[in-house]
Amino acid sequence: MADRVVLCIGTKKGLFVAEASKSRGRFSLRGPFGSGVAVYSALIDTRKSPRIYASSCNAWFGMKVLTSTDLGKKFKETKSAPTFPEGDGRALANIWSLEPGSDSKDLWAGVEPASLFRSEDGGNSWEMVAGISNHKHSKDWHPGAGGLCLHTIVRDGDRIHLGISTGGHYLSEDGGQTFNAANNGVGAGFDPNPYPEFGQCVHKIARHPDAPGRLYMQNHGGWPERPGIGVLRSDDYGHTWQSIADGLPSDFGFPIVVHPHDPDTIYVVPLEPMTRTCPEGKPAVWRSTTGGKKWKKLSKGLPKHGGYFTVLRDAMTTDTLTSPAIYFGTTTGQLWMGHDGGEEWSCLFDSLPPINCVKAAVV
Amino acid sequence: MSVSVQIPYALRSECGGKSEVEVSAGSVRQALTALKDEQPKLYRNVCDETGAVRKHINLFVNESLIHRNDGLETKLGPGDLLFIMTAVSGG
Repeated sequence: MADRVVLCIGTKKGLFVAEASKSRGRFSLRGPFGSGVAVYSALIDTRKSPRIYASSCNAWFGMKVLTSTDLGKKFKETKSAPTFPEGDGRALANIWSLEPGSDSKDLWAGVEPASLFRSEDGGNSWEMVAGISNHKHSKDWHPGAGGLCLHTIVRDGDRIHLGISTGGHYLSEDGGQTFNAANNGVGAGFDPNPYPEFGQCVHKIARHPDAPGRLYMQNHGGWPERPGIGVLRSDDYGHTWQSIADGLPSDFGFPIVVHPHDPDTIYVVPLEPMTRTCPEGKPAVWRSTTGGKKWKKLSKGLPKHGGYFTVLRDAMTTDTLTSPAIYFGTTTGQLWMGHDGGEEWSCLFDSLPPINCVKAAVV
Repeated sequence: MSVSVQIPYALRSECGGKSEVEVSAGSVRQALTALKDEQPKLYRNVCDETGAVRKHINLFVNESLIHRNDGLETKLGPGDLLFIMTAVSGG
């Protein structure tokens, strides 16, 4: 019986695991795991017995994939991290995304330099997915400030959406054999062409399984001369996108999260575009319950001033309880939990290392 | 000829706990090639998949950083020690 909430918190100094009962009254914390090096991605895989996966970015010895079968009491390395084929010329620089595939041992990894890998044995061996990793556009992709990363993998049967910074949104409708750029309506403020075929700095893509065809995107907005390109919605599986940023204080941000039980409810964290921090030092999560038509500011319990942090692209999530909580981690090491759909916030941990990613599961 | 490769503490778990391994090599590049065959787990922590020595790994022959000599072509002779060292880095 699922009776615990587990959080995986990837930080600049390793992975932490927090656990609480379903009442979420008090979270215990264990870690750091992973040699004290940066963890950019984590997955709590609940397809069978719960298993945690996390990337570990070791600046000295390369990339590792960590796994735990006891909900994060101890971790071991899988037999291999993704590796580019011999003669490819690229070397793995980071693992930005770990996502479940179709069967219980099928894993997908989005990496830097922007490429996709797949494992059919629970992360012990990996094969590069050539359809995107060797895409004809790939030589023209270029790194954003965070590197040239494939950070988002959203799967829906044979339909696979990928977010690449800086490459844009790519869509496969044949299970990953072939991919096409699908960026109609996705703008780029840094490109002479405001709406290029590809090359946008997509920050995050999200979808809800009960709303086939609808997707939400946080794109790199914040361009005064090109407004309304930062927060987007698609209703045709990502073939075309429209702005839903009206009402937000800024269309720049990194994460975008969909409520687990309501495809019309989404959350973003608008940031001041130049500093990439909370506007005026007053942190707030913004929620729409209308699929982006209207937005509401949620800041009760959050700092009223002096909150100049960033929430990175994978650092916000929800659990899946009937009344789900929303969680976000900051680059200043706080982990916040929003009760009642984000109406009120409390700080679970206030002195962690800078937080890269947060994942939640009820197990 | 056989030369000794000295293993830092942090990497000994990658080669069965050994503090040194012997390889047959006449240059640093040949020593790395031998490690790739004989100690593949250790090798992957020292070199990436392109064969480049990782950014924060330093290789010394005896007490001399190989970049001050001939890099990977630095010769290895009888009794030489090839040290794998982790660079000071981080934050």
